[in-house]
Amino acid sequence: MSGIQFKNVSKLYQQGENQVLALDEISLTVEQGEFIAVIGPSGSGKSTFLAIAGALLHPSKGEVILNGKNLNELKPKDLAQLRLEEIGFILQTSNLVPYLNVLEQLLVVKRMAGKLAKADKEYAKELLQSLGLAAKLGKLPEQLSGGERQRTAIARAFMNNPSIILADEPTASLDSKRAHEVVQLIANEAKTRNKAAIMVTHDERMLEYCDKVYQMEDGRLKHDDSNSYEKLKAISTKG
Amino acid sequence: MFLAIKELKHGKLRFLMIGVITVLIAWLVFILSGLGNGLSTLSAATFKNMDANYVTFEDGSRASMSRSLLSELLAEKLESQPNVSAASAMGATMGTVLNNSDSETNEKVDIAILGITPDSFLEPNVFDGKPLQANKPLEVIANETLKKKGFKIGDTLKIEGSLEKMKIVGFVKNETYNHLPAIFTTLDKWRSIQFAAPGSNKGIEKPVNAIMLQGENIDSEKLNQLFKNTETVTKSTAVQGMPGYKEENGTIMMMLAFLLAISAFVLGVFFYVLTLQKSNQFGILKAIGASNRFLGRAIVSQVFLLSFISIAAGILLTYGTALILPDEMPFSLDLKLVILYALLLLVISILSSLVSVRKITKIDPLQAIGRME
Ligand SMILES: Nc1ncnc2c1ncn2[C@@H]1O[C@H](COP(=O)(O)OP(=O)(O)O)[C@@H](O)[C@H]1O
Ligand SMILES: [Mg+2]
Repeated sequence: MSGIQFKNVSKLYQQGENQVLALDEISLTVEQGEFIAVIGPSGSGKSTFLAIAGALLHPSKGEVILNGKNLNELKPKDLAQLRLEEIGFILQTSNLVPYLNVLEQLLVVKRMAGKLAKADKEYAKELLQSLGLAAKLGKLPEQLSGGERQRTAIARAFMNNPSIILADEPTASLDSKRAHEVVQLIANEAKTRNKAAIMVTHDERMLEYCDKVYQMEDGRLKHDDSNSYEKLKAISTKG
Repeated sequence: MFLAIKELKHGKLRFLMIGVITVLIAWLVFILSGLGNGLSTLSAATFKNMDANYVTFEDGSRASMSRSLLSELLAEKLESQPNVSAASAMGATMGTVLNNSDSETNEKVDIAILGITPDSFLEPNVFDGKPLQANKPLEVIANETLKKKGFKIGDTLKIEGSLEKMKIVGFVKNETYNHLPAIFTTLDKWRSIQFAAPGSNKGIEKPVNAIMLQGENIDSEKLNQLFKNTETVTKSTAVQGMPGYKEENGTIMMMLAFLLAISAFVLGVFFYVLTLQKSNQFGILKAIGASNRFLGRAIVSQVFLLSFISIAAGILLTYGTALILPDEMPFSLDLKLVILYALLLLVISILSSLVSVRKITKIDPLQAIGRME
């Protein structure tokens, strides 16, 4: 079974005397080719959810199945391998390596996996070109605008051709034109290359690109049918 | 290696500073080792150079020439023992000489007078002039130090406290004994200087200080039993018994040990601080799938490169320093020692970076994603 599946996942943070139930019995399936959004107020558990989906955090209860693998059963080393091969993380701002140029940001991912082949270089260039960065290959992060940086990060997330794409507020630092472009890119990648994509966002304007919208509140996940875009979409596909 | 080199190029100033510190440490290490080597040469070069494997002293002398008195007749008996291929006696005494031929320079020079059998394995090769001859007891060969002090072949020497004049017939290289330049003479001549006072030979027939033995695997225990009142030790023990040798070496070694320990600590702290500064970056790399091994390798290879270049620069500086040091300074670089300390420094800096590698394994990739907005 491919895609990602949450089965009754809970996360309890222990902070001194206090316990915070950050996730409360979450169940959810994201199929390949599906792009979903998770929205919700600050502190509702969105990042925790994404961290668990990305094999960075262990759930306190329940299990996560990623491309048929139960994450609870993997060793830390295998989890790193899985992140490298099957997950493309698009993090918030300034998450590029400061001393690598745009092209190298992508190539380092290949180096982590082992050897760098000539074909990888070509692929990275193509990817960057398709994201409108062809002229920026040799630039360092400090020489790029916010949008260019974010697009580089996206290209990096796509570099290993992962089957799952996770994005944590990818538009937080972008103006609305760039924000649309970026989310469109993710949606496009999920559709055309058949990937499961999850985006955590505050930004209501971006929901039009998503197949489903979930609302996170106090650690509980609700499918939000009230979302107008989804309805519109449903109608338009029916009609 | 890729990340390592990229980062070195990007953060030039930062790495330059660490590099300079490493260069200075390496420089100091090599200078100290050169000094140590120079001092031990000065104190025992003749012993170190001589082609012998064991030395027989008087029992109780604790491997010291100056405390030992034996009869030269013993040499023949020792030579007939199993595994002993040759035995030859030596006597040593300290003295002061005056150049008698040159009336302008009447500077006195401290020397070590070594009595040996001409043409034995104890006689060093002359690089200038002629060797000793048994039938010419008034001829000596001298270390090149005397040449530098203005002595020439054919010059006559006056030894203080002795009426006899001797003639320099040859010069030898790198023969110093008890921190003094050595002059070699026959055993008989040496005896006439050393035992000028009646009774100072304690009634021993043909006295000498020690007998050097050639031969592998000599059973010194057996020799000690066989020849009462003797004690046979290895050459290296005899070198240790040279006056001041152990003390000087010990001092230098202690300084080196401290220096190496301090450098391990200083470099370790530097690398650690660098790593701490980058912990967010490592978190990001881990989040996108970098293994601890990949990141650890990046750090270690970076430290390796940096140390390698710095140590090489330190070696160059040291050889440069050796050129401008004054001649009298007991400084001599031994290539083997330089390589040894270079490797030791390299190992130390890499070990000190392992603290940072440990830190990396502890970095939580979670910190890369904005968990707590
Ligand atoms: N490491 C942690 N230790 C304790 N509590 C945490 C930790 N991380 C998050 N929390 C708490 O869990 C809840 C959910 O946090 P988070 O997943 O960051 O929400 P969001 O991303 O929606 O803002 C919050 O109440 C937060 O304070
Ligand atoms: Mg968050």
